[in-house]
Amino acid sequence: MSSSSIEMTEIRMPQMGVSVAEGTLVEWKKQVGDWVEADEVIAAISTDKIDTDVEAPAAGRLQEILVEVGETVEVGAVLARIATDARPGEAHSSEGTSEADVALEAPGEAGELQGDTTEADNEGSAQRGAAQRPGGRRYSPVVIRMAAEHDLDLERIEGTGRGGRVRKQDVLAYLESDANGDAAEPPMHIESPYKPDAPPPPRKREPRFAAPAPAPATGAAPLSRMRQSIGRAMVESLQTAATCTTIVEADLTRVDSARRALGVTYLPVIARATIDTLREFPALNATLDGDTLTTYEGVHLGVAVSLGAEGGLIVPVIRDAQELSVEGLAARIRDLAERARQNALSPDEVGRGSFTITNPGGAGSIIATPVINQPQVAILDTEAVVKRPVVVTDELGNDSIAIRRMTYLCMSWDHRALDGVLAARFLRALADRLEAWPVP
Amino acid sequence: MPTMTYLQAISDAMRQEMRQDERVFVMGEDVGVFGGAFKVTDGFVEEFGPERVMDTPLAESAIIGTAIGAAVEGLRPIAEMQFSDFVSCGFDQLVNVAGKMFYRQGLSVNITVRLPSGGGFSGGPFHSQNPEAWFMHAPGLKVVAPATAEDAKGLLIRAVRDPNPVVFMEHKHLYRRVKGEVPEGRYETDFSARVARAGTDLVVIAYGAMVHTALEATADLDGASVEVLDLRSLVPLDEEAILASVRKCSKVVVVDEANQMCAAGAQVAALIAERAWEDLDGPVVRVATPDVPIPFSPTLEQAVLPQVDDVREAVRELLEY
Repeated sequence: MSSSSIEMTEIRMPQMGVSVAEGTLVEWKKQVGDWVEADEVIAAISTDKIDTDVEAPAAGRLQEILVEVGETVEVGAVLARIATDARPGEAHSSEGTSEADVALEAPGEAGELQGDTTEADNEGSAQRGAAQRPGGRRYSPVVIRMAAEHDLDLERIEGTGRGGRVRKQDVLAYLESDANGDAAEPPMHIESPYKPDAPPPPRKREPRFAAPAPAPATGAAPLSRMRQSIGRAMVESLQTAATCTTIVEADLTRVDSARRALGVTYLPVIARATIDTLREFPALNATLDGDTLTTYEGVHLGVAVSLGAEGGLIVPVIRDAQELSVEGLAARIRDLAERARQNALSPDEVGRGSFTITNPGGAGSIIATPVINQPQVAILDTEAVVKRPVVVTDELGNDSIAIRRMTYLCMSWDHRALDGVLAARFLRALADRLEAWPVP
Repeated sequence: MPTMTYLQAISDAMRQEMRQDERVFVMGEDVGVFGGAFKVTDGFVEEFGPERVMDTPLAESAIIGTAIGAAVEGLRPIAEMQFSDFVSCGFDQLVNVAGKMFYRQGLSVNITVRLPSGGGFSGGPFHSQNPEAWFMHAPGLKVVAPATAEDAKGLLIRAVRDPNPVVFMEHKHLYRRVKGEVPEGRYETDFSARVARAGTDLVVIAYGAMVHTALEATADLDGASVEVLDLRSLVPLDEEAILASVRKCSKVVVVDEANQMCAAGAQVAALIAERAWEDLDGPVVRVATPDVPIPFSPTLEQAVLPQVDDVREAVRELLEY
């Protein structure tokens, strides 16, 4: 081909996290032929739990769109291609010659056809390609050949063959009428005013037994995309992991004093204690993929965030959370939760966690069995902190009953990756750390 | 011009050649005193004597082998297989010896092997076959299959004179059912195809008895102009005639009475696919006998062999395509 081949950059479905396998195209903000700048938003996608934008990786002309709105494709799938050697303002290449047209629609094919052939051959193959293409109609070899010989637009020929197929006779008849100078324009109205009677409705067979009356319902509606996504992930987790739950009681009386002093909630303190304990038990700061257990140097802590009244849940991840203080964690959790509810998280802030904390205790529940966030091996559930009379032992060994702020630390873990004694030791170590938390 | 049946035309061809050429003689099972199972050589032994009208044992290998030897010595034997089905017993002599003699030794094997072939009369699986494709596949043999009395005579005379071994497929169901004007005396018909009826919308390509089926099936198809091409010769295959018809009509139905697999029509379809692609306005459609033995039961036989209605339906569908 004499004209240089088109340099293309592919736009792919972004990777949102290890547990995200696919995304749905929600909207194209650019059309084929539009000029796009680098980093300009060209599409909206919904990936697992996140709605986000796709940005152009390079400037150029949007050459083709491969995924339609509503289609769900795997992460990494090519969504569109940008011609990066185009220049703003110049004619879109599909508006050019028919030769270019063919080359664009099937670059490889056209390249072969046009390799070292003469100019005349180029025209012939382009015409032939064009004759086959418009409107998706297909033509027999003889019809294509005749169209090329007589330079006909086959779209304008009415077919009388099966299913409106254009037959050789139709081309001959067209050529004959065309020579007489008429039939150049298709008739404006070809639809017959005659309307046949509607076919009788199919006979419905009465059911042999009357179906029971349906229970009264207040309404039926399809699940939201997020609900469907969460549902799939939860079922998949339960079908994948050997999920067990271990519960340890912890006295948070000191933590309560400490958090009040810092002006934070329980969560950042528990998170900080969890991070420290995970550093002692690296087998829990891990992901399990098939038979491969991966442990991590840093703690990438997922914190489940409820999206409020409309329901839904999202788990933003604090990467290298071990580097943050209690106050730092508090600020980061607040920021992530806020942006999660505004739907403003970036894909990189979701997924690829190594451990997750979920925190529904604010609603008053005291025990729960959470579902592991795959492919992690454990999830810690913090429940309500309640004042309870407990037996406390002083340093001399004397027991007394005291009112303490108690909670249950519930952790679901994957029995494929670890055993119950490790889970119990981890939770006990965490409880000990919390019970001895320094009060400033 | 006298009118003759297909069978009389075959007899006439042999009689004329035997009268004019002493090298020509016939041999086969019961061809002499009995006059042949189908009476093709009725009266021959009286006219030409038992030395030129030889009754043979029931041994096709010996019949063809003897004919080959005689031909190598300079004679022009016409060997009759009582039914084409029985040629399998002489297969080695025909395919390996006769077909390759010129290639191996440079010797001409000027023999004609007559094969009364085809079904349609409740002959059952051993008496109804169309084995022409077996021999099309064997280099060194020519294969012809007349559909009319005139061609039967002309092609047979040409076969007797051809220096190569020629397998002459005479359709026994046509023997007394097809009549036509046949020129007197000796004439040769080229091993080439013939347009049995000219047309422009679609061509039916056939040979032997199926030519008549095709003509009847397409005689009146709502004014459609259907060409019927009678191949007459299968080896050599008249490729130019086939391609000319396809160029003109662009739609093709190929009819075989033989079993479909690798039949003569398969070769025709392959030729069209290779060399007439850009002239086609529809798929090449085949009508043939399915790959089963020919049943004895008349009802079943009709269900198996291509009938007029089968061809008409195929033609109609392709016309509408």
